[in-house]
Amino acid sequence: MTVTNDAATPLRILILDDEPIVCKRLKPAFQKLGHTVETFTDSGQALARLREAVFDIVVTDLKMEGADGIQVLNGAKASSPETQVIVITGFATLETAKESYRKGAFDFVAKPFKLRDILDCVKRIEDRRRGLPAEPGQ
Amino acid sequence: MDTVSALRRWWSGLEAGRREARQEIDFWRLQALFNNFKRILLLNNAVLEDMAKMERALGGEYIFDRAFLESSVSGIANRVHHVVYSLNALTGNHHVALYDRYQDIRTLLDDILANNIQALADEAVLPLRAIGWEHEPLVGMDLVCLAALSASAQITPVDGLAVTQDGIRALDPSDLGDAGNGKGQRLAETRAVLREHLRRLVKVHPGVPVAVVVSRVDEDEESLQEAGSFLLNVDQERREASLACEDSRGQTAERIILADREIHRAEEGEGENDAAELLLHGLERIARIVGRKTETDGPQRVNYAFFVHPQPSSLLAGTIYTRPLSSNPFAAEDGLVAEVVPLHGAPGDYFLLRRTHPFELIRSLIQIHPAGHRFADGRLASADSTEQPHLSRGSASVEPGLLRGLAETAMLLERIFGAPLEVRWQLWNDGACRITRLRPLVCEVAPDLAAAAEESGETTIICQGGQTGQSGVGAGPVVHVDEAMDPKTFPPGAVAVARFASPNLTPVLQRAAALITEFGSAAGHLATVARELRLPSIFGLPGALGLLPAGTEVTVNGGETTVYRGIVETMLRFGATDMELTPQDREYRMLRRLLRFIQPLHLVDPKTQEFAPENCQSFHDIIHFCHEQAVEELAHFQERWPDLGTMRTRPLELDVPLDIQVLDIGGGVLPEADFRLRPGQIESVPFAAFLTGLTDPRARNPDAPSLGLRDILASMPRSMGLLTTPVDTLGGNLAIVGSEYLNLSLRMGYHFNVIDAYLGEDVSRNYVYFRFVGGLADPERRGWRARFIAKVLATMEFKTSIEGDLVVARLKLTEPDLLRAALLALGALTTFVRQQDTNMHSEADLARWYATFAPSFLATFGEQGIREAGDEVH
Repeated sequence: MTVTNDAATPLRILILDDEPIVCKRLKPAFQKLGHTVETFTDSGQALARLREAVFDIVVTDLKMEGADGIQVLNGAKASSPETQVIVITGFATLETAKESYRKGAFDFVAKPFKLRDILDCVKRIEDRRRGLPAEPGQ
Repeated sequence: MDTVSALRRWWSGLEAGRREARQEIDFWRLQALFNNFKRILLLNNAVLEDMAKMERALGGEYIFDRAFLESSVSGIANRVHHVVYSLNALTGNHHVALYDRYQDIRTLLDDILANNIQALADEAVLPLRAIGWEHEPLVGMDLVCLAALSASAQITPVDGLAVTQDGIRALDPSDLGDAGNGKGQRLAETRAVLREHLRRLVKVHPGVPVAVVVSRVDEDEESLQEAGSFLLNVDQERREASLACEDSRGQTAERIILADREIHRAEEGEGENDAAELLLHGLERIARIVGRKTETDGPQRVNYAFFVHPQPSSLLAGTIYTRPLSSNPFAAEDGLVAEVVPLHGAPGDYFLLRRTHPFELIRSLIQIHPAGHRFADGRLASADSTEQPHLSRGSASVEPGLLRGLAETAMLLERIFGAPLEVRWQLWNDGACRITRLRPLVCEVAPDLAAAAEESGETTIICQGGQTGQSGVGAGPVVHVDEAMDPKTFPPGAVAVARFASPNLTPVLQRAAALITEFGSAAGHLATVARELRLPSIFGLPGALGLLPAGTEVTVNGGETTVYRGIVETMLRFGATDMELTPQDREYRMLRRLLRFIQPLHLVDPKTQEFAPENCQSFHDIIHFCHEQAVEELAHFQERWPDLGTMRTRPLELDVPLDIQVLDIGGGVLPEADFRLRPGQIESVPFAAFLTGLTDPRARNPDAPSLGLRDILASMPRSMGLLTTPVDTLGGNLAIVGSEYLNLSLRMGYHFNVIDAYLGEDVSRNYVYFRFVGGLADPERRGWRARFIAKVLATMEFKTSIEGDLVVARLKLTEPDLLRAALLALGALTTFVRQQDTNMHSEADLARWYATFAPSFLATFGEQGIREAGDEVH
C-alpha cells in the first residue's frame, strides 16, 4: 500500500490551551499534514486573534484563566460561523459536553486524549467541507 | 396453663430470640469483614488500572497536561488510603504502620507536583548507579541518562558520584542555610557519606586524579549548563592535593595547592583514607567556590550539582555528536559525527557514521600524524608504509569497532535523552572506553516538516495496526527474536520482531532500534520496559512475523503503529521533533518522577522478613502488601475466628462420605434452596468447580488404602492432639461462599486443607490460595505426598513451597476458564490424596500417582495453547 497525503486543502488552525505542552505537541502534528497553525496559551490573546483573522478550525481548552473555552467558542462562531470548534478538557462532565455541543462545538474531547483522536476529528471536518459523507460510526 | 409453664415458654422464647440476634450480629460482622476483603480486591484492581494508565502516558501516545498528573495522583492516593483502611478493618488494626508509609509517599508525590525539590533533599550524595528519574531535579538529566546507560549500553559510563545541591550547601561553610539550623550536623553527615564513597573510588582507582564537573540544574530553565570543571590531584606521598580549574577545553586555567597537613595529621589514616580525606577537602573547597558564585548569580536561586569521577590519563578522548553541526567538516551530510582527539595536542580525526544499523563509516577526515606519533595501541606511526602498512602517519587514530560501539551508544543516549546530544568519551589505559559526559546539542537546522510530510507520502507501508507501546521512530533490518535467542547475538540497532511479548525479551530491547510483537498488549510488562528505554514499539500487530521477513530494512513509527519499507530518513529525523513527548518536556520528567513512587514493586516475596510495611517504597508495594495480607487473613480466617462454628450454617449433601457445612455470604447458593443443600444448588462459581472435582469418580481409587500400625503409631502425637482438641475449635468442614468467592476449610481424616479462591470474569482479581498439611502416615510418606501435591500444583503453574508436609501454593491473575479447571483439579486432588494417603510404599509411587491423576485432571494445563505470557503484571 502506498500512502498519499490526504490533506488536499491546507487548513488554518488555531490552538488554545493554557498548558504549553498541549500546543507544543499538537502544532507539529497538524503542520506535518500541511496545515497552518497558530498557538496561544492566553485566551484573551486568542480571542483578539479570532477577531482579526478567520480560522477553519479552533481547538480550545475549556477551563482557563480569563475567558473560558465556551467564551472562545462563542467568539470563534461570532467571528466566523463556518469555523469548527473542537473543545478539549481535563474536567469532562456530561454537563460541560452538552453545553459545548449546544453552543455549536464540532466535537468534545476529554484529556488525556490520543493524538489520533484529534487528527480524526480534523479529518471529519475536512470530509464535511468536501461534502463527503461521515464514515460509519462517526 | 400454669404460671411456671408460661414463664418457661416466655424465658425460652427470649433465649431463642437472643441466640437469633447474636447469630445475626455475627453474620453481619462476618459479612462486613468479607466486604472489606472484596473492597481490597476491587480497589487494588482500580489502582493497578490507574497506574497502568499513568505509565502508558509515558509512551507518548496520549496528549496530557499537568492537571492529568494531579488528578491521577489524587485518585490513586485516595484508593491506596482506602485499601490500607480496609486491611486494618479486616485484621483488627494489625497494620497501622502502613498509614505512615502511605503518608510519606503521598507527601513525596505532592512535593513533586509542587516542584519542590526538597522532597529528596536528604540525598546529598548519590553514586551514579543509584541515580533514577526521581533525582533529575537534584543532579540534572545528563546524569540520569548516564546512569540509565549503566544497565544497557555496550560502552558503560564512567564510575562516579553526584553531590547534590543540598550536599554542596552542607559543604560550604559560608552557606548558613535556613538560619543555620543543624548546619554542623548536616556537614558531618555529608562528610561521612562522601568520605565513604571517595574511599571506594580511591580503592578502585588508586593514584588517579579526580574530575569534578559542576553543572547548573534548574528545574524549568535551560538545564545541563556546565558551570565549570576541576581536577583534584593527590600527590604520591598523600600529603597535599592540588586543585586545577579547567576551562571548557579541559585545559588548566587556575591551580591551587591544598596543603592540608592538618587534616592529614588529624585523621592519621593510611593509604587510600588519606587520599580520600584530601579529596574531600578539595570538594569542600570547590563547594566554597560555587557558593561564592551563587552569591553573584542574582536574586533567583540557582542550583548546582557536582559529578565526581576518576580521571586517569587517557589514550584517546573525543566527542560524538548525534547530529552534524556547521562547525564540523560534514555539516552538509546527515549522520553521527565522531571527533577523536589524540593526546599531546595532536590534531583530531573526524568520522561520519550512519545513524542506523550497522552504523558503518560513511566518510572520514584523517589527519597526517607526525612521524613517531604514538597510537592508542602503543605503536608508533612510521613514515615507511612498507614496515607497518596499517600504521602509517595517515592512519586513523581509532579502530572501526570502537567507532561503531560509540555510535550505538550515542544513539541509545539520544533516544533516552529525547534530543540531539554531544557525548564525550575517553579510552583509558586499561583498554576500556567510557562515557564521561553528555551535553545537549543545539541543532542549527530545524526539521523540515514539509519534506517529512512529502516523503511519508511516498513511502510504502508494509503493515499497520496493533497498539503503541512507545511512540517515536526507529529503523533497521528486521531480526526475528524469541525467548530462546541469546540476546548477545542480537545486532545492536536492528528491529526486533517477536511473536509474543515475553518479559524474557528485555535484554534484546536494550540493543534494538524498535520492537514489534504479534501478540501482547501495550499494558504488559515488556511494553513498560520499552517505555523505560523509550524504544519505539508496536504491540499486537497481526501477522508481523510473516509480513516482515528477517533482513528486510524497515522504519517503525511507534506512534502511528505503522511499519514502512526501507529506511525513511526524514521520518527518522522528524522523530525527534516537538510532536513527541520527550524528557525535554517538564510533564514527561514529572510523570517519570511520580511513577518512581507509584509503580515499582519492591516487596515481592511474602516469606521474607523484608515483606513489611516499613519497607514499602511505592504505592504498588502498599497495595501488594495489603493484598497478600488480606489473603493470608482469610486463609487462616476460620482458625482466627473459631466461634464461626456456632453460626447458622447449612449442611451440603454429597455422594461422597464427607460432611461440609456451608455459610453463604451473598450469592453463593440458590435463594430458593432447601436448608439441606445439594451440589446443584451451589451458585458459587469457585465452590461449584471444586465440588465437581471432589465428587468426580475418577478421583476415587477402588483399592482400599493399607494403613499399617507404623502409620498409626507415627501419627499418634498429631492425631491425639487433634482428637483431644475441643470440637468447637477443631471445627468441621466449613465452606464460606459468595457468588465468586470460596473459603474452604477441610479436615478430612487427618489432613487439614484450606482453599481460598476468587473466581470472576476479571482476570486481575482472580486467585487461588491452597494449603495442605497433615495426614495419617509416617513422615517419609507424608513427604512423598507433599511432593506429589507440589508436582500437580506446579503443572497448573501454581507458585508452590513445601516445608515438611506443609504445602502452600498460590495462583493469581488467571483466566476464568483456567482457574475453573484448576479448582476442579484441586477438588479431585483432595479426594485422590485422602484415599491414597497411606497407600504409598516407595519413591516410585510418586510418579505412579502422577501418571494416574494427570491424564484425568491436568489435560487442560498440558494443552494451554497460545498464552500471552508476557502480560503478567506481578
